Amino acid sequence: MAPAEPALAPAEDAQLIAAWQAGDERAAAELVRRHARAVARFLVGAGAPDAELDDLVQETFIRAFRAVATFRSQCQFRTWLLTIGGNALKDLGRRLARRRVVPLDERLESKDGDPHERTVAGETEERLRRGLTRLPRMQREVFLLRAQQGLEYGEIAAALDTTPGAARVHYHHAVKRLKEWLK
Amino acid sequence: MMLDDGVHDEELRQAAQRLGAAAAERVDVERTAEAVLARLRAGDAPARSRIRWIQPAWLRAAAVVVLMIGVGTLLVHRFNPPTVSDRRAARAAGGEIGDMSSGQLQTVLAALDEPAEMPAVHAAEAGLEDLTESQLQSLLRTMEE
Repeated sequence: MAPAEPALAPAEDAQLIAAWQAGDERAAAELVRRHARAVARFLVGAGAPDAELDDLVQETFIRAFRAVATFRSQCQFRTWLLTIGGNALKDLGRRLARRRVVPLDERLESKDGDPHERTVAGETEERLRRGLTRLPRMQREVFLLRAQQGLEYGEIAAALDTTPGAARVHYHHAVKRLKEWLK
Repeated sequence: MMLDDGVHDEELRQAAQRLGAAAAERVDVERTAEAVLARLRAGDAPARSRIRWIQPAWLRAAAVVVLMIGVGTLLVHRFNPPTVSDRRAARAAGGEIGDMSSGQLQTVLAALDEPAEMPAVHAAEAGLEDLTESQLQSLLRTMEE
């Protein structure tokens, strides 16, 4: 399965990261251009509200650039970004939880967007989106990294600090549940 | 790369790949890059200050709670007045001792000394012939009781 947006060679990202660490802002901007849409797709799949999407993408890159010294190339830069995005989304969920007393799934599930676009997108996609919000976070992220981003289990395991075997199990649990809900 | 076998898996994979595609296309990457750089230059004060504020606040709250518990415990022990029953017991004990004669007091003192001497007359450690007369008398009194 090929990812919708092919990941760039790690060496190229590594060069840009080194340039950013040396103070080159153009390198940071290029990293944003390369990965922002993949981050956005992942965040939407993980339940990010449309209204918060731009801010969440920005927050993901800001956190990544600040913590880039801790990135040890254990996985691709994009994969690392996606896990940071997952954390940013989780923090948003907590903030929203303090403001409103409604179930988390409903909060993370977007009610925005063009209704016509939603209709065109298809019922399966919409039900998948709803189903993903019901999964435990680990299962949801493993599923998205595998099915949406096209990553191998080894890469997923490195990003989520687990084993490839555990990632495989999480994925199959997610698929099984989603199939039940999509029937 | 295959996911699982079956049509459902392929449908699921395709749906997952479509998920968020339209929203991602709406993301203006140039504007996002500019905004990220601007926030980085500005130190992104709101986000960072929130994180820095929360952690010390929790620590301060925990420290205040620990301090209050410690001070409270100290005050309770220091200033808790003796209860009525404590005072009655002390008064009763003092009264009884005060009513005793000097002979009675000596008997009481001798009785209080006895437990310290008793281990010396343990049957397993010494025979009866090794005991002094007073020790034998103490032993007899104990057995008669």
